Amino acid sequence: MTLLECRNIHKTYGHGVATVPAVRGVDMQLERGETLGLVGESGCGKTTLGRVIVGLNAPTSGKVVFDGEDVSGRLHEPEFRRRVQMVFQHPQSSLNPRFRVSTTLREPAILLTSMRNEELGQQIEQTLRLVGLGIEYQTKKPKQLSGGQLQRVAIARALMSSPDLIVLDEPTSSLDQSIRSRIIALLKDIQERRQVSYLFISHDLSTVRKIAHRVAVMYLGRIVEVSETEALFNDPQHPYTQALLSAVPSIDPGDRSERIILRGETPSPTALPVGCSFQDRCELVHARCGVEAPLLQETGPARHVECFAVQ
Amino acid sequence: MRLFEVEALTVGITGSPFPILREVSFYVEPGEVLALVGESGSGKTMTALAAMGLLPFGIEMTGGDVRLEGDSLVRTGGTVERSAAQMSMIFQHPTSALNPTMRVGHQVGRVIQINQRLGRTQSLEAAVELLKHVGIPGAKRVARNFPHQLSGGMCQRVMIAMAVACQPRLLIADEPTTALDVTVQAQIFDLIKSLVSEIGCGVLFITHDLGAVAEMADRVAVMYGGQVMEESPVRDLLAKPRHPYTRYLLESVVREVDHRVEDIGVDFALTGCRFGHRCPYVHEKCNGFPPLVEISPSRRVSCFLRTEELR
Ligand SMILES: Nc1ncnc2c1ncn2[C@@H]1O[C@H](COP(=O)(O)OP(=O)(O)OP(=O)(O)O)[C@@H](O)[C@H]1O
Ligand SMILES: Nc1ncnc2c1ncn2[C@@H]1O[C@H](COP(=O)(O)OP(=O)(O)OP(=O)(O)O)[C@@H](O)[C@H]1O
Ligand code: SF4
Ligand code: SF4
Ligand SMILES: [Mg+2]
Ligand SMILES: [Mg+2]
Repeated sequence: MTLLECRNIHKTYGHGVATVPAVRGVDMQLERGETLGLVGESGCGKTTLGRVIVGLNAPTSGKVVFDGEDVSGRLHEPEFRRRVQMVFQHPQSSLNPRFRVSTTLREPAILLTSMRNEELGQQIEQTLRLVGLGIEYQTKKPKQLSGGQLQRVAIARALMSSPDLIVLDEPTSSLDQSIRSRIIALLKDIQERRQVSYLFISHDLSTVRKIAHRVAVMYLGRIVEVSETEALFNDPQHPYTQALLSAVPSIDPGDRSERIILRGETPSPTALPVGCSFQDRCELVHARCGVEAPLLQETGPARHVECFAVQ
Repeated sequence: MRLFEVEALTVGITGSPFPILREVSFYVEPGEVLALVGESGSGKTMTALAAMGLLPFGIEMTGGDVRLEGDSLVRTGGTVERSAAQMSMIFQHPTSALNPTMRVGHQVGRVIQINQRLGRTQSLEAAVELLKHVGIPGAKRVARNFPHQLSGGMCQRVMIAMAVACQPRLLIADEPTTALDVTVQAQIFDLIKSLVSEIGCGVLFITHDLGAVAEMADRVAVMYGGQVMEESPVRDLLAKPRHPYTRYLLESVVREVDHRVEDIGVDFALTGCRFGHRCPYVHEKCNGFPPLVEISPSRRVSCFLRTEELR
């Protein structure tokens, strides 16, 4: 069953000559109990899309449909806020610096659920343990925590209100491998038990591969490829996806030979070329790409690619 | 002469008898990249902040020495004094390290103005150049933006630009590419490497990504629980980890570790080896503090196992 649907979302920042089209027509669905990985170059609009979905930014145009209802402007409704949570990219600026960890975790649960006090205390302890922090962390303030500890507090906070959808924006970027695996296992376990859906934004492709059912690749405000995870990693079709997947550093020196180095630089979102926005950097560019912008088209089962050379 | 040396650095909460960092020692040669790795909460950021003289309120250095090009930077009362031209740092939390009320071009420009003694307009131009260099599309426009108008990865690159603009003797980079995709990451690594070869500076590179270590670093120091466990050339460490914790760390990359094991961080009140509670080789001797001992000309290990046993 579809839980979330984005219909032709646009989000433009600023006015006049200085407008930045951060998201440029994104369509996407997320099923109940599904994880969609969202990857793509820094600045391509992932966070912006996430913020639009949870209602923190209004889309310039387009619609977000959650559980069958248009949810624009629902942010102040407690039930919507309980059901949709976001883990922010920079936990140190999204957590209240004056709150102890226990207060940070208690707040959403008190506001948004009917949990009683002692139940709440237990829930806080349990959630902290699940993210690998002992109960002694309850009394700490954000300043007293390391980068990875903060990140785990942010994840714990999102879990407190038993949401149906969590947008996780780079949730494991400051975590080492073993804690990261543990968080992934935890998220999967919760998903199995409660059918929660995740939009998992990350630069870390190996983590995305482990957690996502499907992956969407973004470039300059548009989804250029979306596919089931293994199909995408085994056979990337869009030229940008191919370059992205080839650049992962590895401990094995033998692995480093086949890297595709992208030529040129990403165009500024304020000065996009006519036609395909990847044309200046694309190996497969041909005449049509400079005239007409490609659209997402089905190229296989559950697979869409936005490129003339593939369609 | 060694470019940078930290010797027996001990840091703790003011008034607490239990140090967070315990006798941390490592060094960086000119033109060398030393990676500092270790799990979340192991003390990497704290080590960097102590070396920079930027420990937060309530945390103090109680022992040890920090030397740059042979001169001790520690002043009476345990404070460290250094200039931006001596050491500069890329912080783990980009949003909190940038000034939210100042356009990013000016922030970078000011650093250039001070360190390279250029005029105001010239500095601003140089800042835009540098923003281009760290791969920010539309650098000229972005220079006029405030930090909140930038994506996570763009903020991180602005900070990298500022640190690089100082042309320091030692660059400290605390998880510099966590918010960047792999293609931009590769570009940043190249930038850091070319800075090293151009001006012969050293780099202390903090990360939890062993792929990045293999790619960037010459040597590596492994931390656990506020202690340096092993210091070694990268290739030797990856091929033959000696310390029990290093072995565990490398194993967690190649195989899935058991997440059910309750692993709730380190007890800083331990007087013995802080890896003792997880170490498969723990024995009576481990109740004492294991010093960092040279086991071969280029390797140091902090463990009570005999040299033969570490082989
Ligand atoms: N408040 C804002 N005002 C103006 N421009 C903004 C604002 N927030 C984001 N932008 C711009 O929108 C674009 C997309 O930013 P966004 O934060 O969504 O990127 P991202 O994909 O999350 O990148 P990253 O991986 O670096 O976090 C960027 O060019 C950014 O400069
Ligand atoms: N101001 C503080 N007061 C008390 N404890 C602190 C303070 N700052 C950090 N700590 C503790 O010191 C330890 C080391 O923290 P540090 O930030 O150096 O970790 P780190 O290795 O950088 O971890 P990460 O990879 O998660 O960033 C952590 O256990 C943390 O909880
Ligand atoms: S449409 Fe053309 S320029 Fe764009 S990705 Fe495909 S081949 Fe390359
Ligand atoms: S000193 Fe003892 S506990 Fe520590 S790593 Fe060595 S054997 Fe293990
Ligand atoms: Mg982002
Ligand atoms: Mg840190």
